[in-house]
Amino acid sequence: MPLYEIGIILNAQLDEQEREGFLGELKELLAKEGATIAKEDVWGKRTLAYEIKHMREGYYIFWQYEAPGTAVRPLETKLKLSDQVLRFLHLNLDRETQRAKKMARVRAEQKAAKKAHKASKAEAAAAAAAAGE
Amino acid sequence: MSKKKYYVKRKKTCKFTAEGIEYIDYKDLDLIRQYVPVSGKILPRRVSGTNPIYQRKLTRAIKRARLMALLPFLGD
Repeated sequence: MPLYEIGIILNAQLDEQEREGFLGELKELLAKEGATIAKEDVWGKRTLAYEIKHMREGYYIFWQYEAPGTAVRPLETKLKLSDQVLRFLHLNLDRETQRAKKMARVRAEQKAAKKAHKASKAEAAAAAAAAGE
Repeated sequence: MSKKKYYVKRKKTCKFTAEGIEYIDYKDLDLIRQYVPVSGKILPRRVSGTNPIYQRKLTRAIKRARLMALLPFLGD
């Protein structure tokens, strides 16, 4: 199961009860889809860099969770339909880090291949020099 | 004839290569802000000296931070 990260900006004008209620709903939905939340990071109220829906403040929440890919669609649908969510960003963290790892491996391979090519060339040159003598 | 100006060229280094940062998190604002001047623009490679691979990752991170209203699309 991939590790997902979701960042949510909620309406900062909600009171705590409404907010907890909404987050509880989200958690319930995630649990139903077979997800386990690995990390919760709540930034709280924060001034937005620009206005969204005529609001200057937002309530920031970041979650990391492990879930089968089927959990993504229903969660996003719910977030999109809710008018308390100003914005959200969903990332597949595994994909983000795997890409970096893969690129590092490919680069190492290319380097090794280049080295081997150089070595074989030097060997051929040495052999040619030996034959010439 | 104008006097020739001499100055010491500073060696530019790529922070991400030097420190071995693999994944640039869009939430790491202290890091990302170093590459976004007040104008809100992304600092070009020729100024910051970042390696191409990391510049692309950095760009992605900055754009994500903009989407989440952590950084402005347009600065002052």
